[in-house]
Amino acid sequence: MKRLWSIAVKDIRIMVRDRAALLVMLAMPLGLIFILGSALGNVGEGDSLDARVAIVNLDQGGLGEQFVEGLTSAEEIDAVFNVIIRNDADEVRAEVERGDLSAALIVPADLSEKVRQEEPVALEVLQDPGSEVSAGIWAGVVRAGVANASAQMIAAHTIAEAFSGGAHGAPASQPVAEGAPLAGQRMPELEFDAVTVREVEVELEKQISMISYYAAAMSGMFLLFGGMFGAFSFVRERREQTLARMMSTPASTATIVGGKALGVLLIGVLQFVVLFAGTHFLFQVDWGTNVVGTLLVGLAETVAAAGLAMSLAALGRTERAIGGIAPAFIMLFAALGGSMIPADQLPGWLLPAQVLSPVYWTVDAFLELMRGASLATVAPNIGAVLAIGLVLLGFGVWRVRYE
Amino acid sequence: MVAIVEVAGLVKRFGELAAVDDVSFMIRQGEVYGLLGPNGAGKTTTISMISCLIDPTAGSITVDGHDAAREPGALKQSLGVVPQEVALYPTLTAAENLRFWGSMYGLRGSALDRAVSEALDLAGLADRAKERIEKYSGGMKRRINIAAGILHRPKVLLMDEPTVGIDPQSRNHILETVKGLNAAGMTVLYTSHYMEEVEYLCDRIAIMDHGRIIAEGTLNELRDVVGGMDVVAVKVAGVSPGTLDRVRTIEGVERVEGTDDVLEVLTRSSGSIMGRLVSTLESEGAHVTSVSVTEPDLESVFLHLTGKSLRD
Repeated sequence: MKRLWSIAVKDIRIMVRDRAALLVMLAMPLGLIFILGSALGNVGEGDSLDARVAIVNLDQGGLGEQFVEGLTSAEEIDAVFNVIIRNDADEVRAEVERGDLSAALIVPADLSEKVRQEEPVALEVLQDPGSEVSAGIWAGVVRAGVANASAQMIAAHTIAEAFSGGAHGAPASQPVAEGAPLAGQRMPELEFDAVTVREVEVELEKQISMISYYAAAMSGMFLLFGGMFGAFSFVRERREQTLARMMSTPASTATIVGGKALGVLLIGVLQFVVLFAGTHFLFQVDWGTNVVGTLLVGLAETVAAAGLAMSLAALGRTERAIGGIAPAFIMLFAALGGSMIPADQLPGWLLPAQVLSPVYWTVDAFLELMRGASLATVAPNIGAVLAIGLVLLGFGVWRVRYE
Repeated sequence: MVAIVEVAGLVKRFGELAAVDDVSFMIRQGEVYGLLGPNGAGKTTTISMISCLIDPTAGSITVDGHDAAREPGALKQSLGVVPQEVALYPTLTAAENLRFWGSMYGLRGSALDRAVSEALDLAGLADRAKERIEKYSGGMKRRINIAAGILHRPKVLLMDEPTVGIDPQSRNHILETVKGLNAAGMTVLYTSHYMEEVEYLCDRIAIMDHGRIIAEGTLNELRDVVGGMDVVAVKVAGVSPGTLDRVRTIEGVERVEGTDDVLEVLTRSSGSIMGRLVSTLESEGAHVTSVSVTEPDLESVFLHLTGKSLRD
């Protein structure tokens, strides 16, 4: 165990004196996080340009349909909103929570019934607080629609009464919705006036700024570069005969490989701590409150980096060869994992391949933790990254040449 | 004296090539044993098998009673290895390197501190202990390379061509270091293709060529292989391959080996062939500048046994 530790400490000492490695492992990710985060602006801050709103009409009578028709037929509304008619209220609520919709209107199932029975009833307007302006306008539109419908119904009721000379106190059960306020129909006394608009500001999922996104994405990618330098170290030791010298000591092969892997792992942990603290203090990146969870995700990624180091050392016999192979592997993992563009924006046919990328699981876990997720939520991600790391480590140990 | 290293029937094949072919020898405790041979003779492969770096195809190795196949860990603890390459970490200081290699042999705490300090003194580099190895000269690196192999006071020290490519001063320092370690009781297996070093250091010598030991014994025993012969060294310009063939036809010439400007002729009758040798060379258009006759050495032994120079 002490020999294993000696090898790891020696590798850390060598790494911190390697300026090129420090540049790639620390300066480059911090620089890229700053540049990409600044250039691409912020996600979830301010209004969405795409003011998508949804309407769910659950009303069993006809009044709801009539009201929705009134809203959607107005050209002005069409010019401002992209109105989508949906059936599932829960799904729409979830979409507003995620910020996928700016606002929504849910017409309750008992609207017609309540109006007929002259009982108060509320239309529900869900608002994404992140889309304050467009959601506010939508609530105003709904309120105006209610007022308009109410006015129309009063007018129709008055005309109907005038034509029929009808008495007040017509049966409340008279269906309203089935007929628009047409002449000759008996209308309820308490018309749409009793309909109120209840504005609900949903508790939105925590939005992540671009700089925070790229802090997660670049950390996920650049932690793997620790694996490349680990492979360099292994091949250099093989070339400079220090590996052979180590193997001529009483240290076992397992101790030597374990020490090298532990070195990569500890270097990765140090790298992540610097990236974590650097992005937090320099760029105000909010990694979330679950620091332990975030560090565990980072640790899992360094296990993957250690595995990658051994696999690369097995695949490339020289530093030059590894210098060619490693970036290709890491970039592929990074592209699949969302380090370049958000993972959900990749073409559909690529999505199944994401599960093979440790970067995907790592970045996803970082983002979840930034949104406030618990350790239990990201535990499958940690497990997936560890599994990929152990497979890579196993392959490397199996195939690597020591002589 | 007790045998501390025993090698029997050692074979190492790489495909069709037998890098080491049925090599057997024994090293007594406290002696310096030399493996002499040209590059590619199989010396490094033999050392690599003794230090358990590569597995033999056949044969057995025992060091200090530990069999290489059954107790590699204990065997390695008995050994110190000084590889042919400078196997150190360039960006670490000499002290950091030594501390690391000491820890690999299980040294800790004050024992490690003491071992590092003594090794630095032995290398004559205590005052430069905190300098990075990359700033050292080739000779200084070689000295630390040796120091790293003796930190744990091994019973047997394997030294594989430890003086390749260094200045004469550092070479002398290394040779004296080996002498000193041996005087302190350390058994040394020393490989080299420099016959002067082997002659100077070794109690017994095995000459290797093409993976086999072709002669073994003390220096005097080996000289007897070419008993009664002299080496005539001729400094000459303008030698062609045809010239060498002509010289070989001279009666009394046993072996001839030549470089661009020196011919070495092994003969039992140096006095009688001298005149014919010079006249033959002159008649072939070569220009002789000097002729000297020396006692046989390991070079001439090797020449006699293989028909070629150690430097080939």
